[in-house]
This record gives sequence, C-alpha cells and structure tokens, in this order.
Amino acid sequence: MDRKLISGALFLTLLGSLLLLPPLASVFQIQRRFFGVPTELIYLFACWVALIATAYWLSKRLPREREAEPRDGDES
Amino acid sequence: MLSSEFVIFIAIGYVGLLFLIAYVSDRRSRSGKAGFLHSPFVYTLAISVYCTSWTFYGAVGSAARNGLEYLAIYLGPTIVFIGWWFILRRLVRISHNQRITSIADLLSSRFGKSSRLAVLITVIAVIGIAPYIALQLKAVTSSIQAIAGTAESPGLRGVDEVSLALAIAAGMALFTILFGTRNVDAKEQHLGVVAAIAFEAVVKLAALVAIGIFVVYAGGGLEAIFSRAEAAGLDIYSIGTFDDRWIAMNVLSAAAILCLPRQFQITIVENSNESHLRTASWAFPGYLLLMSLFTLPIALFGLTSMPTGANPDMFVLTLPLAAGQEGLALFSFIGGFSSATSMIIVESIALSIMVSNHIVMPLVLRFSQGGGTVRGQGGVSSLLLNSRRFSIGLILGFGFLYFYFTRNSNALAPIGLISFCGVAQFLPSIIAALFWREATLKAATAAVAVGFVVWAWSSFMPSFAGSSALVADIMAHGPWGLAWLRPEALFGLTDIDPLVNVVFWSLFLNSATLVVVSLLTSPSALERVQAALFTDLFRTSTAGSPAVIRGSATARDLRFVAERVFGPARAHALFAGVPAVPPAQFIDRLERELAGSIGAASAHVMLSKVVSGDAISIEEVFEMAGETRQAIEYSQELERTSEELRSTAAQLENANLKLRELDGQKDDFLSQVSHEVRTPMASIRSFSEILLEDGLEDTQRRRFVSTIHQESLRLTKLLDEILDLSALERGERPWDTVRVDAEAALDRAIEVCAPLAQRRNMQIVIGSRAGRATVEGDADRLCQVLINLIVNAIKYNDADKPIVEVRSEVIDRSFIVEVADNGPGIAAQEAESIFDMFTRGERGRSDPTPGAGLGLAISRKIILRMSGALELVPRHTRGACFRVTLPAT
Repeated sequence: MDRKLISGALFLTLLGSLLLLPPLASVFQIQRRFFGVPTELIYLFACWVALIATAYWLSKRLPREREAEPRDGDES
Repeated sequence: MLSSEFVIFIAIGYVGLLFLIAYVSDRRSRSGKAGFLHSPFVYTLAISVYCTSWTFYGAVGSAARNGLEYLAIYLGPTIVFIGWWFILRRLVRISHNQRITSIADLLSSRFGKSSRLAVLITVIAVIGIAPYIALQLKAVTSSIQAIAGTAESPGLRGVDEVSLALAIAAGMALFTILFGTRNVDAKEQHLGVVAAIAFEAVVKLAALVAIGIFVVYAGGGLEAIFSRAEAAGLDIYSIGTFDDRWIAMNVLSAAAILCLPRQFQITIVENSNESHLRTASWAFPGYLLLMSLFTLPIALFGLTSMPTGANPDMFVLTLPLAAGQEGLALFSFIGGFSSATSMIIVESIALSIMVSNHIVMPLVLRFSQGGGTVRGQGGVSSLLLNSRRFSIGLILGFGFLYFYFTRNSNALAPIGLISFCGVAQFLPSIIAALFWREATLKAATAAVAVGFVVWAWSSFMPSFAGSSALVADIMAHGPWGLAWLRPEALFGLTDIDPLVNVVFWSLFLNSATLVVVSLLTSPSALERVQAALFTDLFRTSTAGSPAVIRGSATARDLRFVAERVFGPARAHALFAGVPAVPPAQFIDRLERELAGSIGAASAHVMLSKVVSGDAISIEEVFEMAGETRQAIEYSQELERTSEELRSTAAQLENANLKLRELDGQKDDFLSQVSHEVRTPMASIRSFSEILLEDGLEDTQRRRFVSTIHQESLRLTKLLDEILDLSALERGERPWDTVRVDAEAALDRAIEVCAPLAQRRNMQIVIGSRAGRATVEGDADRLCQVLINLIVNAIKYNDADKPIVEVRSEVIDRSFIVEVADNGPGIAAQEAESIFDMFTRGERGRSDPTPGAGLGLAISRKIILRMSGALELVPRHTRGACFRVTLPAT
C-alpha cells in the first residue's frame, strides 16, 4: 500500500507538471470567459486547488516509518 | 495625508517589533517554552519568505505587462512541494545527517568536502543574488517615493532615489547584523529569525488580501473589472500565455525554490522536524495560491482606473492612495516592507554563513599552522561572527551597486528572473548529488562554472546595457563583431525570447558538462564515500557513515579545537565521558558537529590538522574499506561454494543409498525367483525319478505324470509372469495407447470369469455401471488386470454364500471400477505389501495351488502405466474391495 501511495505521489507530481504546461494547458485557451474571467485563468487555479487538495490527502497517508527524529535530541 | 517621514517612522517601528518578536522567541526557545514555534505552520509561513517585494509589488506589474505569466513563478514551487517526497525529503534528511549549513556546504560535502567547489558556489550565489537584493531596495525605495509623491514631504525633497536606496541598504544591513549574528548557533538554526519571518508572512498575506478585497469592492466585482479591462482593449489573449517563455519560467521557479540560498536556509537548514515538510507540502502551495489570487484583478483595475504612465509595480500602493484610503495604503506599505525585509534578512544571513564558512574560514585555516593564530577560547566563534557581519555588509553593498548601475530599468520582475536563472545553475549538480553516484567533483565544478559563464554573459551583463555603452554595443553586435555571441541571441537563435535563450543554453550546457565530465573523470576516495552517503540515503544508517579521519589524537587536542568553535560550555558537554584517547567514532561525530557550524570542508581541514600526526590518509582508509569488503565478498563466495558442495555430496549420498537399496531388491528378487522356480522343479524332478523306477501301477504313473504336467504348467506361468513383469518395468513390451472402451473391457473380463465362478458355485453380482466410459491405454492389458482382480476374488472366497460384486462409475473425469468380495478380506498390515512381488495374502499362502504372488504387482504396474491407480479400499464389512481408478477421456 505504501509503495502505491509513493507511486501515486510521483504520478501527482508529474501529472501536475504536465497539466500546467503546454500542450495540456493550451487546451483551455479558447477565448471564452465565465463571469468575465478568462477560461485559462480558471483552469490554472482549478488545477492548483486540485493539486493542493490531493497533496493534502497524500500528506496524511504517505508512510511515516523511520522519519528522522527532531534535530535537537539527535544522535550517537 | 501620509508623509514619507511618517512611513519611515512606521517602518522603523515595525522593525523594532520584529526584533522584539525574534528576541522573545529566542528567549522562550532557550527556556524550552517555544512549543508553537516548532509547529509545522510556523515552518510553512517561514518558507513563504519566497514571496518578496517581487510578489507583493512586482507580480501586479508583471500581470499588467505580460498577462498570466506571473503565475509561473508560483506554479513551479507548487510542483516541487507537491513532490516533496522525492527531493525535499532527501535534502532535509541528508542535511540533518551531515549537519549541512548551506547549499554550498551541501554540494561541497557531496563532492568530497571540496573547499574549492564551496568557494565557487558561494561566489556565484553572492553575485547571482545581488540583482534580487537590488529588487528589494528598488521596491522599498519606490514605495516610499510613491507615498512621498502624493504628499508634501519636505524631509525627502532633494533626497534622490540613489541616496534613499543607500540609506535603506545601510539600515537593512545594520538591522540584519543585529538580528542574525548575535551568536554562532551550533546548528545554524535561528529560531528567533524564523518566528519573525513567519510573522512577516502573515502580515504580507493579510495586506495583499486586504488590497485585493478593496479592489474587487471598488471595481464593482470581478466580472466588472474583467469586462472593463476587455472593453479598454486590455486583452490577455494578445500575449501567447502558454509558450516557451511560460515553460522557462516554470522551470526557473521550480529550480529557485530549491537553489535560492534563503529557501535552502529556511526549508532545509532551519527544518527542525522532517514531518513539518509533510504539512508544508500542501500548506505552502496554498499560501502561494492566496498570494496570487488577486494579482490579476489588481493589475486590470489599476490599468483601467489609473492615469496612463503610472508604474504598475506600485499599483498595490497607489490604488488605495488614489482612493483616499490612507489606512489601507499604510497597511499595504507595511506588507511590502515586510516582504522586502524578510527576504533581505534571510538571504543575507544565508549568504553570510556561506561566505564565512567557505571563504573566510578556509583562509584562516590555511594561514594558521595547527590553529596557532586564532588564540583564546571562542576565538573561532568571534571570528565567524565578525566575518558574517562583514559579509552581510558586503552582500547589501553588492545589491546597492547593482541597483545603482541598473537604476534606469523599470520593472521589478525581470530583475528577479536574472537571480533565479543565476542560482538555477546549481540545480543539475544538486539533482546529481542526490541521485547519481557517478557524478564527480570535477564535473560538478565544471558544470556550475559553465552555467555561470553563460548566465553572466546572457542574463547578468545585459542588465548593464543602460549604464554602459560597451555593454550596449556588445548587445547589439556581439563581441568583436561576432554576431552569434550576442548575449540575448546566443548561437544565432534570434527568434526566441531572451529569457528562454539564457535558460535553455545555460542549463543545457551545464547539465551536458556535468554528465560528460563525470563520465570522463573518476572520483577520489572521499568523493566515493560521500557519494554513497548521499545516494544511499535511505538504505544506510547514519551511524554507519565511515570515519574518515583516524589517528590517535588526544581528547585535549580535540577539545581545544572544539572550544574555539563552540565555546567552553558546549565543548564541555560534548566531551563529557570521553576517554583520553577518543575512539574514531567520536572524532567522526565531532567532525559532523563542527561541520554544523563551519561547514563540512572547513571542519574536515580543521580536524585533519589536529589528528594529522599519525593519521592514515583517506586513500588508505578507503583502500582498507575496499579490501575488507573484498575479503567479505570472497568469504561469502567461498561459503556459497562450500554450501553447493555440501548439497552435491548429500545428493550423491542419497543416490548411493537408493542404488544400494535397488541392489538389495535385485538380490531379493533373484533369490525369490530361484525359490519359486525351485519348488515346482523339485517336485517335477522327484516325480520323474519315481517314474523312472520300474513296477509302478498305471494309475499311479498317470497321477504322477499329471502332477508333473501341472507343475510344469505352473512353472511356465511363473516364468511368463516374471518375463511380463520385467518387460513392463523396462517398458519393452509393445504397448498400444489408444482410446479404449473401458466398459467393454470390464464386460469381457466378467464373461471370462463367469465359468470359473460357476464351477465354484459362486455368483458375480453386477452392481451399478458407468454405462459409457473411455480411457487411454491398452484394452487387453486392462482386461488382464480386471480378470486378475475378479479371479482373485473368486479364488480366495471361502464364504458360505460367496459373492463377488463388480461395479463401475465415472466421477470427476475418473473411471472407477470396484471388485468386492465377501471372503476373508486382507489384514490391515498387509494392505500395502500385497502389491509387492512374490507376496501372497494370508489366504493365498494356505492355498493348495498357490500363485506366484506376481498378479497384483503386475496389475498395479499396468494401471500405473495407464496413469491410474490400483488400491485396496478399506471397508468395515467382511471381504476385500479393490479399486481401479483411471483418468476418463
């Protein structure tokens, strides 16, 4: 399960990069407006919110094993 | 009306507040009461030092000039933080393990603790950040001027832009020195500074959101603002948003969030707990989103409502001023001031640590023999502090100089991009440091140097075009008339945007150099050790890091070194319970602790000097480690080989046992055969001898001859069976494997046996029948087996009402025949042995005309050949039941 989550995190990162770059981003350059706001602006912010939400979801679930101890009480 | 004196007074008061926050936080953390300061949200807010005046003022200007482009500056970092698991987590882990103090320290440590690389990185960082510092100075200067421009401000009349900027730079330097260099923290963590920066992050976000809400309110809603802009001909579609410039800016901002010295300082060095990164992974992108939410509306509203020629970079300030909202304007000024101060504080602290650790310390170490010149307790730490103070002054001085020479340029954002592109030259080496073990020091040095040269030529130098005729000439015609070297159109690429041009060429040549030189050179021993530590981060434990300095330094010598760096109190704690001759692990630990204060390279040099007396060289250590590993591998190899040998021997022994067993079986078989043959032969011989005598009666003679006949028949039958058996065993007999009607074979067997049963006055009861069944095999052989079973059942049945029951069925693709009788049955202990050769059951032995005891053995062999099974079914009633199971087709 952990491995799947990590793969998912990698996928999210790569997908996020693709979504925000052309050619995918150009798909929404359609010269239309909703409530006066251009589509591509709405698209970018929607992607942004979706990425943050998914990152939040993942951050609660990615494995915590062997996480480094706080720096102060460190070592040897 | 706001006067410029008033806002300057407010700014100084604000700085005092920051100082107070830092002071109180430090005090609380020292007394262990700083719980909330260790919260992941304070950490996230501190990371937001990424948002500087560029974001606060410049993003609006960028949106006004270039449309959606400003978003790219925040989308790149968003991706990096969402992928925190892959890069940031590694950076934090390795920096904790190795006590990394800066980005120069990181690269130097990875590439063999090289001082030279650290110096190169530091120099590039200081030069590369100068435009960024200048940007902050320019923003603060402009903001004060914007306020002064609207009011009567006699105090600032006659004070030009340059002297104002100089005063701001000096004030900032003083403030940062007071703020950041009060002590040399053992781990280079500045909790007080982090707290102040987090506070500033809240202030600037609140200010920008307040302006945003004001603008949306004043502009009559989002739709109205956008529609009015559209009507005014401000069309964002005239700019191709998602073009190569968009990609280049995303790449740059993603690189910057990792490579900017202040980001490295806050995200990696100041990180007190790895799990804080988890929260920052979504909270920091969220902060960025909120910061850029109102940028475009502010820009569009400014463009439509302000007079033409107004500086769009200052819309955030001038819009509320124009609307007469003085309180809001003041808040906005403080927000912008927050953005600038937080950036300058952290950036110059980070850079000053790099300068003092990587340039000043190595020089001091080089010119002091065995640590002679820097005498006295805490000598090194006061030297470090002074060099940091000096560095902060130097860094702000560079910023001011850059501002001075480029003051004619207008926009903020392009200045920031120059810095981004400069520090992005570290990115290939950082990635290689984390993931590519083969990357070498020479390659990293060459790559960073190449990237730096391209950047300096194509990005840094062009910014001086306004103040230098020579630069302007080079920009237009190339050096010495070489047009293909024109800075903004390198190698003749004139069609692409200058930013794309420099990003592409610098990063491409940088990465290519890194890879090619790495492939052509080989790393030193220490590099290999460090490379393994970095790339196998999650596989090796920290305790397993090899102690690279060995020798018999005394605790006194080491303590002397430690006291000079840490001061007596911390050194005392560190050396508690350490023997007079400390073990290698302690020296290793001490080196890492020292590295936390003065950088890996300096710590290495410093300790090497103390333990150099009889220290073995790193090459030797590595050699030893290599030999040990070889020895281990060799012995593992030996162990594997001997294990193989052992198993082979065991197999041989098994085979031998089996052979001996078979040999024994053969002997048994021969003796049994001889025995079986002997009995009829003996009776034939004796009867023949009697016959040879004269005077026998005819009847007697006839009886003897018939006995001889019977015995010879038996003998023949026995020999036939033996031949049959051996043929079966060796598979010599012709054997038809065809589809056989099994039911027909059973019918035939019953028919053949019927006369015998009749003779014995017995009944063959036909039970339920399968009806139709076919199997693979030989029909005659199958019939032979069934006859054998039925004959046995008849022959050995001594019941009063002897019955033989035959039934058959097909279950789960298996054809099953059962032959049961109500005879004496077979004792349980004989159940298996009756299938052996020459074995007869209890009943068989007492029979007057015994068989050879081969029938069942042969039958079982035949059925086995047909992939079936012949077995004795255990039953509770009297009698025996044999079952033949064959796979039905």
